[in-house]
Amino acid sequence: MNALNSSTAPAGEYAGDEVSAIVLDPGYNTTRAGFAGEDVPKSVCPTFYGYIDSDSGPQYLFGENAIHNPQANLQIKNPWGADGIVEDWDTATKLWQYAITSRLTGPRERPPIRSSANEQNGSGNRDPDAMDVDVEVAVESTEKPLEDSPLLMTEPGWNPTKAREKAIEIAMEEWGTPAFYLQKTGVLAAFASGKASGIIIDVGASHTSVTPVLDGMVLKKGVQKSPLAGNFVSSQIRLLFKQAQPEIQITPHYLVKSKTAVDAGAPAQAVYRSFDPPPHSSFRHHEEDRVLTEFKESVVEVWPGPQRLSVGPNEEIAKSQPGRPFEMPDGWNQVFGIERFKAAEGLFDASAAQTDAEHPRPKDEHTIPKLVQAALASVDADQRPMLLANIVVTGGSTLLYKFNDRLLAELNAMYPSTRNKIIAPGSIVERKYAAWIGGSILASLGSFHQLWISKKEYEEHGVNIVEKRCR
Amino acid sequence: MATGRDVRDIFGLPAGSDATKTAVPKRAKPAAPAKPRIQGVAREVAALYGERPPPVAVYEEKKAYRPKRNTGPAKQWVEERFTNQARSDGLVLRHWRRKDEWEKLVAQQQDGDISMDTSSLEVQPIVSRSDFVKYNVEVDMPTFTDEEYDAHLRSDDWSREETDYLLSLVKDYAYRWPVIWDRYDFQPGGAQGPQEKGDSNALSTMPFAPTKARTVEDLKARFYDISARLMRLRIPEVQMDAEQYQLYETLQKYNPHSERNRKELAAALMNRSMDEVKEEEFLLTELQRINMAASRLDAERDELRARLETPIPNPGNAPGLQSFHTSAGLQQLFNQLVAQEKNKKKAAGPPAPGGRLNLSTTEAAGTPTTNGQAAQQLAANRRTSMAQPPPPTPVRQLSPQAEYRFNVSTHDRLTSGVSFGSDKLLKMRQAKSNVQTQKIAAALAELGISEIISIPTSRVAEVFEQLVSKVGKLLDVRKVREKEEGECRVLEAMKAQKEAKENGMPAVEGSGRGNAGSAAAVKREEVGETPRPEEMEVDGEGEEDADGEADEDEGRSKRGTSEAVSTSTRARKRSASVLSQASTKSTKRARK
Ligand SMILES: Nc1ncnc2c1ncn2[C@@H]1O[C@H](COP(=O)(O)OP(=O)(O)OP(=O)(O)O)[C@@H](O)[C@H]1O
Ligand SMILES: [Mg+2]
Repeated sequence: MNALNSSTAPAGEYAGDEVSAIVLDPGYNTTRAGFAGEDVPKSVCPTFYGYIDSDSGPQYLFGENAIHNPQANLQIKNPWGADGIVEDWDTATKLWQYAITSRLTGPRERPPIRSSANEQNGSGNRDPDAMDVDVEVAVESTEKPLEDSPLLMTEPGWNPTKAREKAIEIAMEEWGTPAFYLQKTGVLAAFASGKASGIIIDVGASHTSVTPVLDGMVLKKGVQKSPLAGNFVSSQIRLLFKQAQPEIQITPHYLVKSKTAVDAGAPAQAVYRSFDPPPHSSFRHHEEDRVLTEFKESVVEVWPGPQRLSVGPNEEIAKSQPGRPFEMPDGWNQVFGIERFKAAEGLFDASAAQTDAEHPRPKDEHTIPKLVQAALASVDADQRPMLLANIVVTGGSTLLYKFNDRLLAELNAMYPSTRNKIIAPGSIVERKYAAWIGGSILASLGSFHQLWISKKEYEEHGVNIVEKRCR
Repeated sequence: MATGRDVRDIFGLPAGSDATKTAVPKRAKPAAPAKPRIQGVAREVAALYGERPPPVAVYEEKKAYRPKRNTGPAKQWVEERFTNQARSDGLVLRHWRRKDEWEKLVAQQQDGDISMDTSSLEVQPIVSRSDFVKYNVEVDMPTFTDEEYDAHLRSDDWSREETDYLLSLVKDYAYRWPVIWDRYDFQPGGAQGPQEKGDSNALSTMPFAPTKARTVEDLKARFYDISARLMRLRIPEVQMDAEQYQLYETLQKYNPHSERNRKELAAALMNRSMDEVKEEEFLLTELQRINMAASRLDAERDELRARLETPIPNPGNAPGLQSFHTSAGLQQLFNQLVAQEKNKKKAAGPPAPGGRLNLSTTEAAGTPTTNGQAAQQLAANRRTSMAQPPPPTPVRQLSPQAEYRFNVSTHDRLTSGVSFGSDKLLKMRQAKSNVQTQKIAAALAELGISEIISIPTSRVAEVFEQLVSKVGKLLDVRKVREKEEGECRVLEAMKAQKEAKENGMPAVEGSGRGNAGSAAAVKREEVGETPRPEEMEVDGEGEEDADGEADEDEGRSKRGTSEAVSTSTRARKRSASVLSQASTKSTKRARK
């Protein structure tokens, strides 16, 4: 009989043993959650949440649909602080729980008071014909949502002890997980690329981090971070738009009812919506950011090097390259030439960043090449060539066109005598969710069973067990 | 497609014959549907054959699907609750396993007592699994008691507390020193451990940084020292087997100082700027170029030496060949051979009639003759014809004296047309390169030979040719001399520089020097060992100097000149020996 006996796993190397663990990778921009062993997170939900301070108490709105729905007095907030550490733990807990329960553990977990909560929602001042099928309100549950599933959570490399203890506390006490583990995003991103050692450059939304990893362990002294990441690029685009002649207006989608095609550069001819009372200004800002993300995806380009944009004839060369068109939601459109190179140049060259009164010049040591330099300088000299041969690039903002070319050019200029190699997953999903994917791999390994912090251990040792075990 | 009927119609054949013949295809037709219907592209290919079946049967290969799996009823799976034997806290996790396998395991672990209601999770037995226990490895650590520590492991620089901390980190991070160093953050708890100055051991003499900021090397040194000491304590050195002793030796030999230096060098190497790397690349290629030039020079020189070197006459060895042991003897032999060959060729002058004559004589030999004398003569004739194919032609041989007197010359080959002796002489003066030609002219002028020789007889030409070849030799040797001189100067300069560096004052007198060849070898070694930019630059300049005109450099330094003079005398001696023997090469060239 040639039928494969599926219960005999391929011997040796593959040491998978799935225990239906859940992997949670919270980020500033999105929160990723899914079952370990799968190759993409099932649940990717925005970390931005809606908040309405109504008479019947505060309302929290989670999920993609809810936060883009223009409601009266809707504020858009983010539980993360600018430094990449959670600030608002209460809301973060609710949000993460929403990310887990809405797509993974299912309605089975929902408490019976759920229906009444819905009614309560319905009675709120919501637009009845809003497209809010998925709009949900997280509710304090009496039954713990993660009683069946061990939880692997990711954390940034510089997560302070307090935040780590808070994380295990939430997982154990509020979600009732039987086992928990915290792992750094850098390590996991390296795992996702099949590397146990390397230097991980993660350019996300709120911050850029550089993490040297050796044999699956972060070299803490080398961890570097800076605020120059996706949000920084967005603000650079805003400044560029403001400085343009005439100033370029960002009109988000929700304000446009209909539009007609106009010539490039001509004023928009669109019919606009109006809202009364209008959503909070943070809502508009967030919606504008959405447009800017589109702009980043389709227009912005990183000057590929080998030298900075400001050096020599590079600007002239950049100008001579064909531009890229972009159309705003209201129909206004234009071809962007050299401007598109300027938006991201600040990531590499602080002096080239756009500045104004509110946006001072970024620090030199915050640019990506300088971060890598600082990271390498604070690890053992023997490891540096090895790290440079394993540069793992991850995070949404590394999808900027030509980002990797420039990064390699900068590194080669700084370290001309080593063999520098960039490892960047080709697919967008793998690049954006590398940390989650690494977590998925790790938590589905049989050998990982020994590393979980069990509920019993937590009860015995308290929250500081996380410091001892998750190193 | 045209049917048979259409064809007949076209050819105007009677339809009646059609009627009679249709019977045959009609009978064939029922057979046609019988053959398997061909599908897909193959069908269209078959259609091209027309009505007639192809001469070779076309078989469509059956598509080979994998045979269906004989699965039977669906296998049952159980969400097994299990504990990992590597954990001590009894954490229960769940994963899916085949039911049969699971039942077996449960039976094993519970002495065959499987509860009937296994499907419900609440009563499901928990199995204990050891699948991944093998990954739970602990590292080997040196252990010691308090007494042992006090007696053997004390260090002025390390408190007991910190030593323990170090050991715990080594254990936690399984000897990954970069990680250990990265996480090393020792805070002496309250009062520092008493630091008694007891027996001063090897560690206290080690160059530890006075600050508590430990480097990787410090940590390693301490740990290796402890390990080595404990090792010796447990197994006396004499009882260690080879492997153990090797380990012990490496542990003992660890030198944090040199390690640190090495690391600093490595870091410096990595932190070079682009310019430096480019410069190094450039210098390396330059070095390679210089080395290549040097080896080429060496090869040239070797060749020359091989040519100049005469074998030592050894009469006892082979007395018969003694006369050929000297180059003069060899030359004589060569001339002899050349003369012989010349004669042979001369004799072969008009070969055709001789050949025919020969043929006729052999034919004559075939016929029976009664004259015994004639037969004898013929036999002799045949013999000579066999030994020396061309029979002597009736040319009157002149004695050498006569040849000389009448100025008769013989030629191997005559070029057509008339040539002037003066042209010949002029040609001889010309070398391959312009420079060489000029040099030859200068040398000849120095010898007082006028540019135009009034009566260029062949004998004059011969002598002139000899002269020119000698001049060529002379020039060769002079070139070599110049090169060697240049090299010597470079070496002197380098030596002087080095000595000056060492003594802090300019060296006046050098020690006895070997010949230039070995000095050059030494120089190359130096360059190979220390590819420092300055030194290589010196070398590069030196090379250029050597290539340049020697006369300009004359009298640069006292020692340089004397060295040059000594080399030149040596060279001159050699050149004399060259001149004594007419080069075989040049004669050959001349002949051509
Ligand atoms: N194709 C793209 N081109 C350029 N930028 C992109 C692209 N896709 C996403 N981004 C940007 O990447 C950022 C999101 O990246 P990512 O999901 O890695 O961040 P995060 O992990 O949520 O944030 P953080 O790591 O800061 O906590 C956003 O700023 C987004 O605008
Ligand atoms: Mg991230």
